[in-house]
Amino acid sequence: MSILPYLLCAFVFGCGLFGIVTSRNVIHMVVCVSVCQSATYILLLAIGYKNHGTAPVYADIPSSRVVTDPIVQSLTLTDIVVAVAVSAVLLAFALKAYEHHGSLDPAEMTGLKG
Amino acid sequence: MTTLLPILVAVPLLVAALLALGGRWMPNRLDDWVAFGAAAVPVALGAVLVVRVGIRLLTYWFGGWRPRSGSYPLGIAFASDRIGIGLALLVAVLLFASLLYSWRYVEDEHYLYLVLMLAFGGAMCGFALTGDIFNMFVFFELMSVAAFALTAYKVEEPSPLQGAFNFAVSNTIGAFLVLLGISLLYGRTGSLNLAEIGRRLTADGRHDGLAIVAFTLITCGFLVKAAMVPFHFWLADAHATAPAPVCVLFSGVMVELGIYAVARIYWVDFASVLGQFANPTRDVLLGVGTVTAVVGAVMCGMQRHLKRLLAYSTITHAGCFLIGVALLSPDALAGAAVYVVAHAFAKGALFLAGGILLVTKGEIDELLLRGYGRDLRVTAVAWLVGALALASPPFLGTFTAHALIEDAAGAEHYWWVPIVLAFATIGSTSAILRAGARVFLGIGDAEDPLLSDEPRESPTPRERPRIVFMRTIALGLALGGLAVGAITPLAERAMEAAHSFTDTASYLAVVLDHHGAAPVQPEHWHTTTSSVVWSVVTLVGSFVVGYASLYRAHLPRAVSSALASALQPLRAAHSGHVGDYIAWLTFGTAVIGGLFAVTMR
Repeated sequence: MSILPYLLCAFVFGCGLFGIVTSRNVIHMVVCVSVCQSATYILLLAIGYKNHGTAPVYADIPSSRVVTDPIVQSLTLTDIVVAVAVSAVLLAFALKAYEHHGSLDPAEMTGLKG
Repeated sequence: MTTLLPILVAVPLLVAALLALGGRWMPNRLDDWVAFGAAAVPVALGAVLVVRVGIRLLTYWFGGWRPRSGSYPLGIAFASDRIGIGLALLVAVLLFASLLYSWRYVEDEHYLYLVLMLAFGGAMCGFALTGDIFNMFVFFELMSVAAFALTAYKVEEPSPLQGAFNFAVSNTIGAFLVLLGISLLYGRTGSLNLAEIGRRLTADGRHDGLAIVAFTLITCGFLVKAAMVPFHFWLADAHATAPAPVCVLFSGVMVELGIYAVARIYWVDFASVLGQFANPTRDVLLGVGTVTAVVGAVMCGMQRHLKRLLAYSTITHAGCFLIGVALLSPDALAGAAVYVVAHAFAKGALFLAGGILLVTKGEIDELLLRGYGRDLRVTAVAWLVGALALASPPFLGTFTAHALIEDAAGAEHYWWVPIVLAFATIGSTSAILRAGARVFLGIGDAEDPLLSDEPRESPTPRERPRIVFMRTIALGLALGGLAVGAITPLAERAMEAAHSFTDTASYLAVVLDHHGAAPVQPEHWHTTTSSVVWSVVTLVGSFVVGYASLYRAHLPRAVSSALASALQPLRAAHSGHVGDYIAWLTFGTAVIGGLFAVTMR
């Protein structure tokens, strides 16, 4: 098992965070949140990976075959479902904010401070 | 009796789904009654369970997937003790009160509001009851998404959108931190059951980088929900813009659930493997709680938007809750538990009183409302009683909570903890009293050089405001908050509950091996002189500082401008820009993780 997927996870998460911090566009920011979420998929799948493992579908493989961990894959699926809900809500906010401000720049949403 | 646990969570969630499907075609006002019924079920079940559970730990395995003793738990379990069930009951009570208060709150599509509230409440109950870490994450996300939508409920205004957006992005990143931590724990232990993770981490015994990183990620992720500095920025924005009854749930239980999760996961999973590092863990968490309590109190004094003022007060008290947990002593944990109950009722009453001002006067700004609340006598009493309950007056309100935490801190030689609690309480309560005096009595200067400017908020439309009804609920909650401190048995039961909460071995044995819970000695609580002295100090201090801060415009110009410029950096940090918030979140996680990494070697 190589360390590469873990580094990749940290890198992707960092990219997402950097994107959110520097974003000048709300929709871009929502996509950056999804990038952060992709890092969690990478980590989950990396943890379940086995060398020379195959998909954990026992219908047509001998039961002695090494398979990857199905639990993390189902966690990833759940995670994706959660991501869809969060992205939908965030994009709805972005759309409504555009109707109000005529702008997608988060720096121009200045109602709340202090 | 254990089958009541899933029913408690399932009823609000199922009714929410049915209302979402059929609410549009429901005859006039039936949707309100359906929601009341759905919220009453968890109240009743929670009350029965709290009375009957004793100090036992109830476990319910979904689908009957109960593991044989010592074997790998394949199923998903609810594992709930008195603290978990007590939190679920608190959620249910506040949900019911909020729904009653918001009867006829919104004109159009009212059933959607009820759907969101029920889903939010059901998810919070599930979060408090579950014994499975991934289940915890899913309930965490469910309650978050419902909360985001509730914050932006007044979608036709710009500020709620900004508040909800900041809230959503901050909490989603927090949830990802939790998920990354959960993944690492699963990689190490191969399990998602809290108890099995704890057992395997203990058997494994390695306190290497992976354990520390997982602990950091999970702690920081949940502390985002708990609004700890520097993860707290979203909270003020969300509270300032969400409808008042929603704020009751946000402040009363949602924030506290973040701290509950940290405590639960620490004691079940990490207390033994990181046991030799109890001192650094305690110091780091105490530091975070202290900074939060102080920053919240200072910011609280500078707010003129009443709901934002109350939001910073919640941050202050959340810092105090974390101090109670961070002392890692059962008695301090019991103090935090009692504190949460007293604070939830008192803060709920204050938010509802603020909501009444918004409905009747169309305004929620302290300076603009000066003197306009004179005719709202009952609301004024509710405001005063709520503030008193938070001021830790002798033998009332948060008094027992403060006393428990202070005594536990004294036993651990943290002599400065009472000073922090007193500063935080005086800072936040004096601001609440100041605002109340200006609004309901009309005293004090018409201007204040230290208060910030806020956008205006438009009131929620109603058919006919039921003020009598609304103010009764507010007053009832306030009196409830005041009474919590007077009920000594509550503190004693909380002490027993905290002792079994912190007993890791007993938790593992009950969930995995189906043993009975270890017996707990009945606890007796005694008032100490020092806690009465501190309580008098905070009470008097709150009134004196509150009265003095009504007349800040009388300060010499040099003094007030020096104060304003000294506070300017702190105020500027609360920029309202979500990118800044995420930068602070990253920074805070790095600092806390770095401190853990340096001290745990």
